Amino acid sequence: MRVLIVDDEKLARDRLRELLNEIGGHTVVGEAMNGNEAVERTTGLNPDVLLMDIRMPGMDGLEAAMHLMGMENPPSVIFTTAYDQHALHAFEVNAVDYLLKPIRKDRLAGAMDKAHKLTLKQLRDINEAQDQPSARTHISVHLRGNIRLVPVQEILYFMADSKYVTVRTATEEHLIEDSLVNLEKEFGEKMFLRIHRNALVATGFIKGIEKSPVGTWQVTLTGLDKKLDVSRRHAASVRRWARA
Amino acid sequence: MSSENLPVMAILKRAATRFDQLIARSEGVIAEKLASHERAVADVLDDGFLPNFCNGWAIFNVAVIAEMLAIVIALVSPQLPISETMLGNLFLISLFIQWIAMSGAAALCVTRKHLNRLSNLRALIMSYLMLLCVTWIVGEVAIWVLWLAHVTSSPNPEWNAYFHLQNLTVAAIVNALALRYFFARHQLKQRTQSETRAKIQALRSRIRPHFLFNTMNIIASLIRSAPAQAETAIENMADLFRTMLTDEENLVPVKNEVAIAQKYLAIESLRLDNRLNVEWDMGKFPRNAVMPVLTLQPILESTIQYCVEPLTEGGHIRVRLWEEADHINIDITAPAPRSKARTQRTDMDAALDNVRQRLESHYGKLAKLSSTQESGQIVILLILPTRGENP
Repeated sequence: MRVLIVDDEKLARDRLRELLNEIGGHTVVGEAMNGNEAVERTTGLNPDVLLMDIRMPGMDGLEAAMHLMGMENPPSVIFTTAYDQHALHAFEVNAVDYLLKPIRKDRLAGAMDKAHKLTLKQLRDINEAQDQPSARTHISVHLRGNIRLVPVQEILYFMADSKYVTVRTATEEHLIEDSLVNLEKEFGEKMFLRIHRNALVATGFIKGIEKSPVGTWQVTLTGLDKKLDVSRRHAASVRRWARA
Repeated sequence: MSSENLPVMAILKRAATRFDQLIARSEGVIAEKLASHERAVADVLDDGFLPNFCNGWAIFNVAVIAEMLAIVIALVSPQLPISETMLGNLFLISLFIQWIAMSGAAALCVTRKHLNRLSNLRALIMSYLMLLCVTWIVGEVAIWVLWLAHVTSSPNPEWNAYFHLQNLTVAAIVNALALRYFFARHQLKQRTQSETRAKIQALRSRIRPHFLFNTMNIIASLIRSAPAQAETAIENMADLFRTMLTDEENLVPVKNEVAIAQKYLAIESLRLDNRLNVEWDMGKFPRNAVMPVLTLQPILESTIQYCVEPLTEGGHIRVRLWEEADHINIDITAPAPRSKARTQRTDMDAALDNVRQRLESHYGKLAKLSSTQESGQIVILLILPTRGENP
């Protein structure tokens, strides 16, 4: 099998590579140091299996796996971890494979033999079971089989239309399959503020709230010429937010 | 030819005798040393429930309490036949009670060391009986004094039995109260002491399982690729864990604490590779400069955990130590930790609070640990009295 090793510690990656060599029958096609690199390299290298650490700087293993599950033909994922008391219980409940560090050769061989594909639901359930379910650091956009990661910090707003949600950054616009309700719940109102039935705006980019000539409220955003309408239903909560 | 006649045997025999003497003498010396050591230990330990009555402050307290008791008795008792005025009455009662109180205090002062070596129950019973004895003896002496001063007509007046019964009853009640008080105070003191110890223990740097298992994984990896490095890593781990696992909350020379911190950093460098970059700037310290064990290491540990590890590109930590005006100054600069919500207290704050509380138990208000953030950097400043004296 083609394997991609993902761990922020170089010596931990070395160990997996050597153990795989000894087990035989597998090819290590590449290595990555964090979740972002893992997603990026998976689309380029097409591995069958990812051996991925859970805790990594930047994007963690769980989030990277979630992004990968949106691929047409996602790889199998085996997680590795030194110690995650709460998460590991969730892994077992959801029948997701993991290996404990120090990694044992026989356990690694066993996990490689029965490596199977995960579902997005399994990963979401694991994330929910954690002490503080963490919001994604990136939104993944699928373009012709490739995954583009859009950092959440760069997003100006989410705008829903009939079937898709538009993700807008200062320079780009993407369509994703998700719902505003889910996004609102995931990121919370500290990061994104609901200003309309169909719009969530990044609080960090709000420049001002002003009245339009017709008497409705509008939000202006840093780096965006377009003004966004605040619906009458949300006007009160938006102004309350602005005062706070 | 008998062995006696061989000069060699004679010399050997003499040597053996001399050797025996030497051993006997050194045994004597050792026994004496041990005895004096035991005495010293007993003096230091001295943790029985009876307080020390051999100092002025304790005697003064006893005198005040005895006087209060005398006033109470004078107020409620009828006029004594041997005094004319109310004040004379009080004077006589005071004299008698102070006499008993001082003799009792003196008896406790002398016997305390022996009593405190007994079990608490035995010490309690023995001291109680002793105080009652003192009361009886003083009462008897008082009767004799009155007889010698021709106040009473016989050394064995008819009210003799009643007098002793009265004294002993009062003494029994008052002494029971006093001993009960000492005992309760002793228990309270012991409880607070063990609570403080437990609290300090809990605040001590704990071994993070994540760190432990990641490091073991890395050592497993190194054993194949670089056995010498693996060996150093295990040695560093052993030293670090030995320090973390000891219960003693000692003051150690600054250079020992720095050595432990550096061993810890060596292990972290293996894990984080070139993502961790530490710069040391260590000034000169007098030999007697001490600090609580595991003060610097936990600060560095949380700095790595919260400021460096979350960064994909890693970070630079600068540690500066210097002595200034009889104070140890430690200044640690690192990338500011990123918290999810800006107003929230960060994990880093909580970690520093732990160290702060431990420092307080050592130095009271004399130690300072502060952290400030500016332009993306966190600066942690630690100031400790060089000689580490408790306030």
